[in-house]
Amino acid sequence: MDYTSPIKCRKVLSIQSHVIHGYVGNKAATFPLQYRGWDVDVLNTVQFSNHPGYETFTGYKYDPKTLQDIVENGLVDSLHIDYDAVLTGYLPSVENLQNLAHIINKMKETNKHLKWILDPVLGDNGRLYVSGDNVPAYKTLLRENTIYLVTPNQFEMETLTEITISSLETLRRSFQEYHRLYPKTERIVVTSLELNSDDSTYIVACCDTTNKDDDIWFFEVPKIKAHFNGSGDLFAALLLDILVPSRSLEVNYPSNHIPLHEALGQTLWLVNEVLERTFELARPLLVNGENVDQEIPKIKDLRLIQCRALFALDCIPSLTPTRVPSTVV
Amino acid sequence: MPRLLATQSHVVHGYVGNKAATFPLQCLGWDVDCCNSVQFSNHTGYGMDKVFGNITEQHHLDQLLSGLFNNFPKEYNAMLSGYLPNKDSVRCMGTNYKRFKMANKDSIWLMDPVMGDEGVLYVSEDVIPEYRALALSEDSKVDIITPNQFELEILYDKKINSMDELKLALLHLHKTIPIIVVTSCNSKIFDDQEYIYCIASMKGKEPIVYRVPLIDSYFTGVGDLFSALLVDKVFSLLTGKSNQEFAQQVNAVLNIIQRVLHLTKSMGPKNIKSKIGSALDMKEMELRIIEARDLFTECNGGDENFIHSRL
Repeated sequence: MDYTSPIKCRKVLSIQSHVIHGYVGNKAATFPLQYRGWDVDVLNTVQFSNHPGYETFTGYKYDPKTLQDIVENGLVDSLHIDYDAVLTGYLPSVENLQNLAHIINKMKETNKHLKWILDPVLGDNGRLYVSGDNVPAYKTLLRENTIYLVTPNQFEMETLTEITISSLETLRRSFQEYHRLYPKTERIVVTSLELNSDDSTYIVACCDTTNKDDDIWFFEVPKIKAHFNGSGDLFAALLLDILVPSRSLEVNYPSNHIPLHEALGQTLWLVNEVLERTFELARPLLVNGENVDQEIPKIKDLRLIQCRALFALDCIPSLTPTRVPSTVV
Repeated sequence: MPRLLATQSHVVHGYVGNKAATFPLQCLGWDVDCCNSVQFSNHTGYGMDKVFGNITEQHHLDQLLSGLFNNFPKEYNAMLSGYLPNKDSVRCMGTNYKRFKMANKDSIWLMDPVMGDEGVLYVSEDVIPEYRALALSEDSKVDIITPNQFELEILYDKKINSMDELKLALLHLHKTIPIIVVTSCNSKIFDDQEYIYCIASMKGKEPIVYRVPLIDSYFTGVGDLFSALLVDKVFSLLTGKSNQEFAQQVNAVLNIIQRVLHLTKSMGPKNIKSKIGSALDMKEMELRIIEARDLFTECNGGDENFIHSRL
């Protein structure tokens, strides 16, 4: 009998929140990554019954020392695990953030290929979700550490660069300012930008600063009239999958990287499919449920399990990118 | 979509407890709500000085499970429990699972009474009466248990040295538990170095003996994968989604496990038999749950017939 598998695993350490019910944080990232062949080491920064978008939730945060102990003494010093990537999302305290930078730098000493994908979770729609001391902490962290990819949303990008983004021109200035302030960040993707009053699309933009000739690219993504919890966490995980090559591939074919804007186009297509399918599946509940009066219904749980066939696709279609003009008239 | 609540351990690296159970069940179409009874860096076979992390305190576990019951009282089709670190966590799981079971009469509850193996207890002795109470009280709500022989003897409170004694033990436990699967019997009953013997017994029916070739290596998480796959099969049996009989369902589970173990062994280093306590050996012998993705759905038990006899 054949005891081989077509799946060659890549390894990622994902450091995010855990909810028992539903799909945000590690619960949104882990299954899609696993289904796409990643061996995911899952470090939970909190354990909650469900996400705070529900009226009530219970649970607790892990102590930063315990988390540091698990990674530093366990995964790094005892097990010597060679990760291809580390993915970090919501962290409950500034202390977590500082510990993390220390550990990831230590991991990089023995593993030069390690890629840090960081979602700087600060807030959304003009509002901070985290305590105010996270802002300077993230600024310091981004100034001092090499990050393979950061994925701020509009509010986070504005907070990090202190530039309000209201047009393609200010978007370009904000990328330039970001690069000036945090030159060690290699790739930037800004999600869910609202640049004008057009309600039917939003903008996602990216820039690969490792490639001097590369432009700032953007995508116009059709909006689905609903709010989805966990979509940002799913997005970061899928972009990681599409962008980060397997280590053996990278060593043998260093030029075989997919360009950032192509990876982003595929990720946006895939996330959009998941959201549309989730919307279809949730629709019967919306008609009869508590959300009926809301103009923008809130869909609390992505239907990731029902979408698993999408995660198995080998060839992912792509949305079409546009260059941000170098001078906007 | 069926939804399952699983309460057992979580390891950051590797595949035991919830990490072994969740992905296979998700591949089979389950929404898996995993409540972690511990968060450790890796399983304890790596050596106790190489395990970092902590146990979920009893009051936290209770908050989590009651929080779920308050928000989602009617959503679970199945409940699963595995390793729980102490008597408080076993009792807390039991109390909360009973509430779920009472609110969802058609749901199924599989309890793996994880206490030890081959004569060695891995939990403190005060856990024993908790599992006995959950399994043996007249109003027990547990539908399926998956003890190994050592755990069966603890629940039965008597050593089992022969097939007749085994039959009596099963009869005794069937007074309160409809389905019992003994995941491995020891050499006092089946003296055979080359095979593992496992018994599946449904109340009122003749117990079935399965004989599965022993793969010479050291695997962890096999019992957790087994109980996860079994709960899926029993669920499809009870909901009429499968026309296979129980005997075939258990055979299918054993086939999948066997394939996962062969895959794991073939991907590990050659000529190494891993030793408990050697962290780097352990790392190589983690179950290849991700690489086995397609086995969980494709392997349907028609491959090999492990049914050996009736008890």
